[in-house]
Amino acid sequence: MSSADIGQDGTAFDRFEAQVKELKRGAPPVNLSDDERVRIAKRTMLEKLDFGTAMDLETCVHCGMCAEACHFYEATQDPKYTPIHKAYLLRKVYRRELSPIRFLNKLFLREITAQQLEDWQELVFNSCTECGRCDMMCPMGIHISKAIAITREALGAAGLAPPELRAVEHEQSESGTLFGIGPPELEATIAQLRSRGLQIPIDKPKADVMVLTTAIDLVLYKESFAATAKVLNKLGVDWTLEHSGFEAANFGLVSGHHSGQALESKRVVDAAIACGAKIVITPECGHAYPALRWESANELQKRLPFEVMAISEYMGREIVAGRLKVRPMAKQKKVTYQDPCKIARQGGVFAEPRAVLAALGLELREMESHGKTQYCCGGGAGVFLIDAAEPLRRRTFEIKQHQVDDTGADSLVTTCNTCRLSFTSNARKVNWNTPIESLVELVAANLAD
Amino acid sequence: MLQDDARLIDYLRARGVSRRGFLKFCAAMTSAMALPPAMLPRVVQALEKARRPSVIWLPFQECTGCTESLTRAHGATLEQLIFEAISLDYQHTLQAAAGEAAELAKHEAMQANWGEYLLVVDGSIPLGNPAFCTVAGRSSVDLLTEAAKGAKAIIAVGTCASFGGIPMANPNPTQAVPVSEIIRDKPIVNVSGCPPIPVVITAVLTQILTFGKLPELDALGRPKVFYGQSIHDRCYRRPFYERGQFAESFDDEGARKGWCLYKLGCKGPVTYNACATVKWNNGTSFPIEAGHGCIGCAEPGFWDRGGFYDAMSVAHWGTAQDIAIAAGAGIAVGATAAVLARKKQADAGRDQHHSGLAASGPIPAERNKEQT
Amino acid sequence: MTLLDFARGPGFFCAFMIMIVGIVWRVSGLLMFRWRRDLSKARNPGPFTAVMGGLRTVAMRSVPPHELEKNITFQHFTGYAWHIGWFVTFLFLGAHLPFIRSILGFSWPNLPNGILLVITAITLGILLTLYIRRLFHPVLRVITDADDHISVLLTILPLITGIAAFGHWSPLGARYESVLAIHLLSVEALMVWLPFGKIFHFATGLLTRFRLGAAFIRRGVRA
Repeated sequence: MSSADIGQDGTAFDRFEAQVKELKRGAPPVNLSDDERVRIAKRTMLEKLDFGTAMDLETCVHCGMCAEACHFYEATQDPKYTPIHKAYLLRKVYRRELSPIRFLNKLFLREITAQQLEDWQELVFNSCTECGRCDMMCPMGIHISKAIAITREALGAAGLAPPELRAVEHEQSESGTLFGIGPPELEATIAQLRSRGLQIPIDKPKADVMVLTTAIDLVLYKESFAATAKVLNKLGVDWTLEHSGFEAANFGLVSGHHSGQALESKRVVDAAIACGAKIVITPECGHAYPALRWESANELQKRLPFEVMAISEYMGREIVAGRLKVRPMAKQKKVTYQDPCKIARQGGVFAEPRAVLAALGLELREMESHGKTQYCCGGGAGVFLIDAAEPLRRRTFEIKQHQVDDTGADSLVTTCNTCRLSFTSNARKVNWNTPIESLVELVAANLAD
Repeated sequence: MLQDDARLIDYLRARGVSRRGFLKFCAAMTSAMALPPAMLPRVVQALEKARRPSVIWLPFQECTGCTESLTRAHGATLEQLIFEAISLDYQHTLQAAAGEAAELAKHEAMQANWGEYLLVVDGSIPLGNPAFCTVAGRSSVDLLTEAAKGAKAIIAVGTCASFGGIPMANPNPTQAVPVSEIIRDKPIVNVSGCPPIPVVITAVLTQILTFGKLPELDALGRPKVFYGQSIHDRCYRRPFYERGQFAESFDDEGARKGWCLYKLGCKGPVTYNACATVKWNNGTSFPIEAGHGCIGCAEPGFWDRGGFYDAMSVAHWGTAQDIAIAAGAGIAVGATAAVLARKKQADAGRDQHHSGLAASGPIPAERNKEQT
Repeated sequence: MTLLDFARGPGFFCAFMIMIVGIVWRVSGLLMFRWRRDLSKARNPGPFTAVMGGLRTVAMRSVPPHELEKNITFQHFTGYAWHIGWFVTFLFLGAHLPFIRSILGFSWPNLPNGILLVITAITLGILLTLYIRRLFHPVLRVITDADDHISVLLTILPLITGIAAFGHWSPLGARYESVLAIHLLSVEALMVWLPFGKIFHFATGLLTRFRLGAAFIRRGVRA
């Protein structure tokens, strides 16, 4: 049984949305003068710039084609959302401070100002989900999303991340909870699910597989968590959750707070090492996957001794290998699939979810932009939490709406809870009724005996 | 024996040149000067009445090619009739006298015709040392200055006299200069070319004789009528240039088909002379027609404009060594810039973690700045 | 020394040397920039995966998926078209080939002038159109800077002055030698600017594509 769009509890969703609106109150105060902000931002940029980004910033030819790949620009036609423009401050700092021809550049480029840093908050946080679609477009092959990520870190260090994100990051790094969800809530959910007869091991001293979950799942998408347990149990895998490192979300990454990002990754990595896991599975959460699989080794400066897989990736692999068997669904359905940006284009997981859909006997109607050119849901990288970005999100949703509607599919399947949140929230506002389904929940509901 | 003040026409008759021959000469000159046919009677009249003016020809650093051009003929030519129209009172190659007798003749002619004689000069004048070019023990500068004082006009024949020519080619060891560098107060006509086309010399003289003044000159002092068009604009191979059909090497298929010689170094586009229309050897041919590109010999500095076989567009970019030095300099500056940039980045990283000012607090994990 | 002598001689030499110094400087400075090693485990580790991924992006980035390019088709195609036209003009005009031979030591057959004239005219038309578009298009107005204006001007000038020289125009009554000299000087200006403005993307563009392709392929994405 799929949980359709809002988890079985419509009021939980409303409560969550209301909670999100209040997030900014929890933002820690920042006492930095304008000069200090600029100094810190510049320092961060200098520290983070590497050969690749340096080359990129030398090579942009101002063609403006990246704008045509960005859903924020496409939805609003506002040129300030041009992706490379979001990286303008980084480019200035690089060209003035580090470029081989900096002494010439300084004659033409002025220093960045505190006002510009403030102006850019909206551009790199509210209107960028780091989806990477611009990276696919740029004729020069510039890694624009990376340049924007560095800019987010610079603004984050200078205390200029949006208050909602600062609040959540502060909570996660200081107290280890998210939206008030921590180990007690995890235990409560586990107890609830166990009472339904579901086996959920926790804190095993040794296990082959360590599973992560996330606060949003525990609050809104418990069935996704339950489904994960069900699938792993069916496979007979030696798996566990660990109290000390169960949270997959990484708001240090999302808010551009590098130290928080490292800390939050460290919790997971240490827990995995402690239980000797060979595989760590991330839940249906977008940024959690690249945060752990692609970035944590560099944050912590050590190679990971385990594999990282998203649950959709894991299921796909097991299905293709013949170890996980599913029944074709009773009614042949036409579905379309939302590739979550962080798992697909930024993560590399394309084929496995499609293998799952095929095994489920579903007819996949691809959106015009699918796979590596998939349009972002508009809520990633924390944008869903930013109150001021709400009008923007609604406008970008129209793009997704048309893409989905044009496929003629009966429902939309995805494997990221931010996509689910974003779609659900927007769908409710415009009365869009296409059901939104979770891949792991579909599998769990259709396991072969 | 004719009298000294005999008219030109008398001389011609005495030499057996018929009236018809004389008229033919006048017609040829009228046409060569690009005058309308209606001017022919005026030319005839002028030359009929003309006294044979005195012409002094001074040779300096020259190869005698200009004289050869004018005199080396395959038979009596119209050009040479000019020698009937003038009294060539001093010319090293053609005169019979030598030594002191020749110098005396020159002085007498100058005195007798002071202010009226035409001075023809070929060869450049060396300023480096008066001894580099002397006649009868006197330096060319002296000779030129003296002769110019009494001249009505000066005709600098050949590129050497007009622009300095080959003696002036890099490194110009004699510090050769053209006539116009030395004489500033007399009208000078530059009849350039290495050598000039014979009929051009003749026509200029005729023009002066007929009208008593210099022809219209271009910015380099050359008669526009002969030097007003580039070789390129009158070249019969121009259609091949326009189409892009070039000879790639001497005697290749393109060369044999008479294609454009641009790639073989032809300087036609930037050379102004009458070669392409008037041609040489009585209109027989000119260098391009013979299969060799124009070397630009009527232009100043033609010897120093890159090789004759280097096309106009060939780059003189220095040597491989120059490039190596430039690359070395580039690497030195680039490396310095990179080293300083790395240091700046390392300092920024250190400051970032020590200052604690970053809103997010210190980093828990050890950071290893330098990558392996 | 006439203007043409200067342009063919010391002018060219200086511009060429500045260009060499500038290119080597900027490239070497970049290549010595700090690298960051990626400690994450590639999806398909192997000695050639990254290289093949990089090369793939170098080639295929010029042919993006239709759904990406469909909003910007005009610019996408004309952008490549004028580059091709510009280089065809430079590399295949008969008058340019002795220049190329003097630098490379070898050359190749030239194209007929009739065809080249059409190509050059179209190239110039596209460049002017795209520049005017740059002045009015909302996105381009936000991101355009002085470098863009200078670079466009220095790209267009050799074409216009080249056509003027080739066609023996006499703008303002100028002599052929002056027009030719100005053509050469316009190329020299381009050479001097080349290492320092955005035209430098010729040196780094393939590298950036390669790097992006290699970075994404290690995640399993064919960028």
